Amino acid sequence: MAGGDEMRKIDRIMRAIAFYLCVALFFILLPIILSYALGYQIDYRNLRLYKTGILYVESVPAGATIYLSGRRLPDVTPAQIEELKPGIYKVEVRRDGFYPWEKEIVIRPNMVTRADRIVLFPIKQEMRVINENGISDFFVSDNGYIYYMKRSGLFRSNMDGTSLKRLSSYSNWPSGIIGRKFSSDGRRILYYTSSTVCIIYLYPEKTFSRPEGKVKIEEVLTTSDPIINAFWYPGSNYIIVITEKEIEVVEIGTSVMNNKVTLYKFNSKPGNVYYDHSNNSLYFIDTKIGADSSQPNYLYRLDLAQKTFDSILQRLLKKEPDTAYEKR
Amino acid sequence: MKKDRFYRRLFEIIPGLLTWTTLGGLFILAFIKPLWVAIFVITFDLYWVIRMTYLSILLVFAYQRLSKERTKDWLALCRSLPKTDGLEFKDIYHAVLFPAYKEGADVLVPSIEALENTNYPKDRMIVILSVEERAGDEAWKNAERLKRQYEKSFWQFIITRHPDGLPGEVKVKGANATWGAKALKDFLDRSKIDYEHVIISCFDADTCADKEYFGCLTYHYMTNHDRTRSSYQPIPVYNNNIWHARTVGRILELGSSFMQMIETMRQEKFVTFSSHSMSFKTLVEVGYWPVNMISDDSAIYWKCFIHFNGHYSVIPIYVTVSMDVATEKKILPTIIKQYKQKRRWAWGVENFPYVAVSFMHNKKIPLITKIRRLLNILENHYTWAVWAVIITFIAPLPLIFGGWIFRQTAIGYNLPSVSAALFNMSFFTMFICMFISIKLLPARPADVKPQKRLVMYTQWLLAPIVVAFLGSTPAIDAQTRLMLGRYMHFHVTEKKRHKPGEKYLRSQP
Repeated sequence: MAGGDEMRKIDRIMRAIAFYLCVALFFILLPIILSYALGYQIDYRNLRLYKTGILYVESVPAGATIYLSGRRLPDVTPAQIEELKPGIYKVEVRRDGFYPWEKEIVIRPNMVTRADRIVLFPIKQEMRVINENGISDFFVSDNGYIYYMKRSGLFRSNMDGTSLKRLSSYSNWPSGIIGRKFSSDGRRILYYTSSTVCIIYLYPEKTFSRPEGKVKIEEVLTTSDPIINAFWYPGSNYIIVITEKEIEVVEIGTSVMNNKVTLYKFNSKPGNVYYDHSNNSLYFIDTKIGADSSQPNYLYRLDLAQKTFDSILQRLLKKEPDTAYEKR
Repeated sequence: MKKDRFYRRLFEIIPGLLTWTTLGGLFILAFIKPLWVAIFVITFDLYWVIRMTYLSILLVFAYQRLSKERTKDWLALCRSLPKTDGLEFKDIYHAVLFPAYKEGADVLVPSIEALENTNYPKDRMIVILSVEERAGDEAWKNAERLKRQYEKSFWQFIITRHPDGLPGEVKVKGANATWGAKALKDFLDRSKIDYEHVIISCFDADTCADKEYFGCLTYHYMTNHDRTRSSYQPIPVYNNNIWHARTVGRILELGSSFMQMIETMRQEKFVTFSSHSMSFKTLVEVGYWPVNMISDDSAIYWKCFIHFNGHYSVIPIYVTVSMDVATEKKILPTIIKQYKQKRRWAWGVENFPYVAVSFMHNKKIPLITKIRRLLNILENHYTWAVWAVIITFIAPLPLIFGGWIFRQTAIGYNLPSVSAALFNMSFFTMFICMFISIKLLPARPADVKPQKRLVMYTQWLLAPIVVAFLGSTPAIDAQTRLMLGRYMHFHVTEKKRHKPGEKYLRSQP
């Protein structure tokens, strides 16, 4: 077995060399890798560790030059700048044709500081005329159309102004439009001035009088109380109108006369009014006259959800509750 | 006895408990101390890369040795040997034992024909085919057919039927092997042959021995002065059906082959695995294979080690025995088959309580040897169960659960890039595996397209995915079962042979 023993001896020696080399490699590499990962830097001259931080810079568009406290770095964005001593640095991001970005950034030890939401705006902004000739107002829908109120009618185009199409010849547009709101189904537009509320039916249903279902513009409310705000009630058949004196709900689409109910009368002119579409609730501030004649402000919430609105509906339709519910 | 049971149970719990404590602890720490876990992950990744590098070096050494030794004319070397310790070449008999269950002729015929094709004198070869009684009459008739067909090719062809449910036995391969070995003993006693002159090789039913296997084995046996204090371990390769097997099966089995090659270089830890050989004298002296343990291949080594008070070793013999890749026609059944096979191998963790309790009773083995060997078993199984999970699933946890503040720290920021860099370094190991796997590949069968060779190169790119899901899970499963006392039963890996024209099954070697 002499030959075999000798081979095994050689094996053992080779293995021992490989083993101890690997052990040495592990103990050499481990502190280097761990110190790098933890954000430490080794000062080989003084043989000590010092803490560093990392700066991550990312811009839109990418490829911008980075200046750190006036010093130009070889990297362009996006870039990770490591081994920075903790402190305050002036960071500048520059790219030809764009406004520069600069900020003082604090680099903390063993931490990453991110400047990754930098937007560089072009110096030469691109601007062009999309439409001309007597535009009194416009609306933009969520599905990517622009609607123009022009003296020659109601028009619609794509977002870049192309595919212009006249939808209606109606031209009696009021001046001083305060607000514009699309219904949740995107089929109607509500707009209002301080005294009127109008609806544009973009896709009206066909009727005997309108067999082709053409675009229809309808004035639904005129009031002497200045209108502050107006909202679509979910379902697009009702509008909630806030005037300086009251909250009204108006039923639309009835060809002869629009039903109207006053939900609340303000004690004083309301300030902010907010409509929470998810819960069908109105929030507003109003005064409440106290026993000592003081007038403190209260924040109210008016729920227009199912139960509340059922009763409103009944009042509008002037029917018994059960019958009304069944009809709905 | 009661005390033994207590300690045995305690040692059964330790591996699983250690594994679950590690994995569970790291999982919890990822929430409360992500920094600690991140440091641990980086340290473990580096340890693993260096460990893989070290093992790759050993693999290269082992491969060099294999390339050198498999080309030798071992039989000529045997013949040239002088009489040593009263032993001459002409005195050596080889007994090859196939403990079989339901394996049919399609599996056994190539294995027996491989024996026929070896260059060792057949008049000194005995084949023992021991079939399980519970496998039914068909299995026995099959054994009889094989005996009729091959009995003239060897000096003796013994067939025997292992009865079911013998006292003290459970349904494991070791019980059948022991029954077959006892049948051999009866024959040797009748023939008045010295047990020391007989080398018994216990082969799986699908094991095809290399032409030089018995010559090489005989040479090592004769030149080893401690021949009866040694087992002889060939290099297992899975070439029988490698060209037709599914990629997932190939990667895992090649990995097992490579681990065995590596183990040959670490002889102080080397334990018998799968098909192996030993002196029949030794086998009789230690009371044959354990009849109640699944991992009979490694258990016999530990039985000998304890019986001979630590004076027992495994001698690597650098010739190959080829077996089947556990595979199926479809991927999912292949994965399930591989999982079950690897779980059975991982059940080798049952050796830990067996060896630990046996060491407690043995006062002759030095304490340091006992501690070292026990730690070796524990470390092997523990590492097997945790490494793939740590690298694949624990590593990203600090980033996921560490919160915003941790992600703002330098280590939170650097962890993915450092882990990725260390992972990329392991490609070096992959290239070595690829190179050696190609070198070990048998000739392409005629029914396999030439393009398949490209798959044999590129398959290693799938290794990280295969390893992530099948690297550790079978070991965790096995250790958890042992920890909970839900003992495994022997699950026979079904062997299937190639039918011409059929895809993903083996071709006849």
